[in-house]
Amino acid sequence: MDNLSNSSTNSSTLEKWLEYNFPILINKIKPDVQNDDMEATEENFKMLSLSFCLQSLVIPKIEKYMRIIIAPKFWSKFVNVSEIDEKQGFQNFTTSVNELYTDSSKLLPMLKKLELAGSCKDEYCMYSQVNILDYFKLIIRGTLLSQIPLYHTTIIEHFYKTAFNVFCNIEASSTTEDLHNNSTILCEGCKQEQSNCQCQIIVDVFHETNKKLIQLGLLERLVGSILTSLIHIRIESHVHRVCNRTFDSSQLEPLECWLETVVMNWLIRIYSGGSSRSMSLDYKVRNAINTFKQKLSYFLYETYTRERIDQLFNIVIEYPDSRAAVDDLRICLERTDLRKYLIRTLQEALKTRLLHPGVSTPDILTAYIAAIKALRQLDPTGMLLETITEPIKVYLRRREDTVRCVVSGLLDESSTSDLADELARGGESIQLDVDGGASPQEDKEDWENWQPDPVDADPTEFMSTTRGRRRVSDIISMLVNVYGSQDLFVNEYRTLLADRLLSQLNYQTDREIRHLELLKRRFGEHQLHHCEVMIKDIYDSKRIDGNVQLDKKYNSEKANFSTSALILSAQFWPPFKEEWKLELPVYVQEQLDKYVKAFEALKGNRTLCWKPHLGNVNLDIETRDRKLNLNISPIHATLILHFQDKNEWNLDELSELMHVPTTVLRRKIGYWVSQALLVETSRDTFSLQEEIATNNSRNIQTTIVTDMIDDEEVESAMASASDQREEELQVFWSYIVGMLTNLDSMPLDRIHQMLKMFASQGSGAVECGLPELRLFLDNKVRQHQLLFSSGLYKLPKP
Amino acid sequence: MKVTINSWRGVATWRWVANDDNCGICRMPFDASCPDCKIPGDDCPLVWGQCSHCFHIHCIMKWLNSQQTSLLCPMCRQEWKFKE
Repeated sequence: MDNLSNSSTNSSTLEKWLEYNFPILINKIKPDVQNDDMEATEENFKMLSLSFCLQSLVIPKIEKYMRIIIAPKFWSKFVNVSEIDEKQGFQNFTTSVNELYTDSSKLLPMLKKLELAGSCKDEYCMYSQVNILDYFKLIIRGTLLSQIPLYHTTIIEHFYKTAFNVFCNIEASSTTEDLHNNSTILCEGCKQEQSNCQCQIIVDVFHETNKKLIQLGLLERLVGSILTSLIHIRIESHVHRVCNRTFDSSQLEPLECWLETVVMNWLIRIYSGGSSRSMSLDYKVRNAINTFKQKLSYFLYETYTRERIDQLFNIVIEYPDSRAAVDDLRICLERTDLRKYLIRTLQEALKTRLLHPGVSTPDILTAYIAAIKALRQLDPTGMLLETITEPIKVYLRRREDTVRCVVSGLLDESSTSDLADELARGGESIQLDVDGGASPQEDKEDWENWQPDPVDADPTEFMSTTRGRRRVSDIISMLVNVYGSQDLFVNEYRTLLADRLLSQLNYQTDREIRHLELLKRRFGEHQLHHCEVMIKDIYDSKRIDGNVQLDKKYNSEKANFSTSALILSAQFWPPFKEEWKLELPVYVQEQLDKYVKAFEALKGNRTLCWKPHLGNVNLDIETRDRKLNLNISPIHATLILHFQDKNEWNLDELSELMHVPTTVLRRKIGYWVSQALLVETSRDTFSLQEEIATNNSRNIQTTIVTDMIDDEEVESAMASASDQREEELQVFWSYIVGMLTNLDSMPLDRIHQMLKMFASQGSGAVECGLPELRLFLDNKVRQHQLLFSSGLYKLPKP
Repeated sequence: MKVTINSWRGVATWRWVANDDNCGICRMPFDASCPDCKIPGDDCPLVWGQCSHCFHIHCIMKWLNSQQTSLLCPMCRQEWKFKE
């Protein structure tokens, strides 16, 4: 071929030579016959490339070849995806890649020759400065991707899913042997019968294919996104499975470990084409894997966090047991940006699962307490707590029995009450929102540790955050602050205390004193002064009673039963329910009058007013077949004492005798019916039953009535809080009547202003908000004491 | 049927036997304590004057101590003398 360099070389020789060395020019892959003479040398190429650009001759041909032959062939296996199952897909992909690989390698000799020819000298030629092999890979990628069919992902997914299943299975079986024993007939990995498990073959084929893809430079571009989505699905399902377990153990570490061992190992194997060691990889690939890992790790965290956030309501309810889960979540929240999602989801869950009429108030309170504890652990700044529990507070404010439940929770002796524990543990006194800002002193002390509020903090709440942080520390304060006022709680406690003191049989006050002392630490001495006097009344009663019992006159005319009394300071007790005044049997009343005489003798210038319906009577009842000893209320005792005189009574007669409405009597008499002492012979007529009837049906009825009675008996002796409040507002009534007589008619806000000016001044004045006043006035309208028309209140014409 | 009462525990409220409800000096109810006291009753008793007006003892003592010249009942301006 020496004559090639000659200028006289005729064109046909050159053509032959080119066709031999680059058969692609005549649309062939290989020359027809092997001819060593025609084989080009480096020397030749150098000579040639001086005169013209070989690349621009050959490469477009290769491109065309790729476009017309190889790419369509590759993609031909990717059509009709709906008819292809997983196994078929796996094979299709393998074949496609194999063919692509072999076809491309056939072009390699030509590329090598081009390489030998060196780069083009013409700096404007697009093939100057290129690495031919890289460029070839670029061509492959470009051509393939330009012809990508719509549903190609399905096949690729099949391929990787199969492989991943097998891989996971191998990983799993290497750690847990027992899983694979004869219990399953099908191999978990390849879904084949165990006897001809294809796992190993699949793994081999898989690695082979990956290796080829890597060599072609196609791995990233062709399967990258599918691989990612596949792994994402895997992570999701794995996290979901993990989260289904209980909340009492941390899952973060196992999850990271799983990501590291299973997922990353698999990825490394894919990238390295088989070997599981990352050492053998070059720097670039290692970098790619690391980036991938970071992305996956974030995705893992995010998935886990979302999963936990969706379960957060349950986590909160189970709180002390779910501590580990809360810790996980706290760590996750720092790494992900899901606080907003958390707030929204938990609030939604609370709304649908907790804050509706079907849930009893104690349950809501329990959940609230759990939420306080859990969220405090989740976010020590208290920002989350503040935001999330706002709806609970709003809802609790609407419930009538909230205060009662909180107070009885505080006084609950049983070990299950969180509130009682919290109270016993003590703590700083309650700070109300209205108390003004936190002292600047406090802020200065801690300035080095100052932390900005979280970004999602509500700026309008800014002023309260410093105090908010402090309030977080105390559950009782948070509950009391639901109403923003201690008065309600103190009043409720007073009512509860009154009931407890009156219902006890001896003069025991130790327990109540203990509670009171604990509460005083919280609410302050001043607020609970009334309660202190109440307890002292009980204590003093014991002493006075002792003295009365020693009174000579009292003793000389003593009846055949003992009397004693609880002597109360009426001003300090909550108002009693007194719609009717019970008339006691004459001889009992006489005895009580004697007691008053003795008291008057003991304490000069003072006297007693009995509350006949309150108290406690111990009596024995003897009938023909039974003997009962009962502790009952005076009204029950009076009832049965009347039946001693006469066997049959009509309710109306009794009502007249006892000065008690028939409705009340009917309820009270139910107790004796339940004791099977009385029977209702006809409507509203009751008669004594000396012998118990052996009729079964009656027994059943009896038990039902007993239940009913038990419910009724817990009724409070005190007027309800709302009644008390109404009583307080009566103060205003005279003012309002005065105003309206002078000014004829007035709108609501005018009345409110006037009251503020005249009636609510000085210490101990009753505060009355606008809505409350409206309620009060509307009540008066309903009682026909006021008229309301076109926004104005006026007095009715007499 | 035979019913035997073993014991009867009643509930009563005590009050001062006075011709008014409120103390004329502090305007608090007699049955409550004067503003300086915490416990009513024995710890904050009432006193009667010969003019038949009565006050919390602490209230009237404070009043009498503040008077420069003669000691008068704040209600009727008669000379104040404790009723024996």
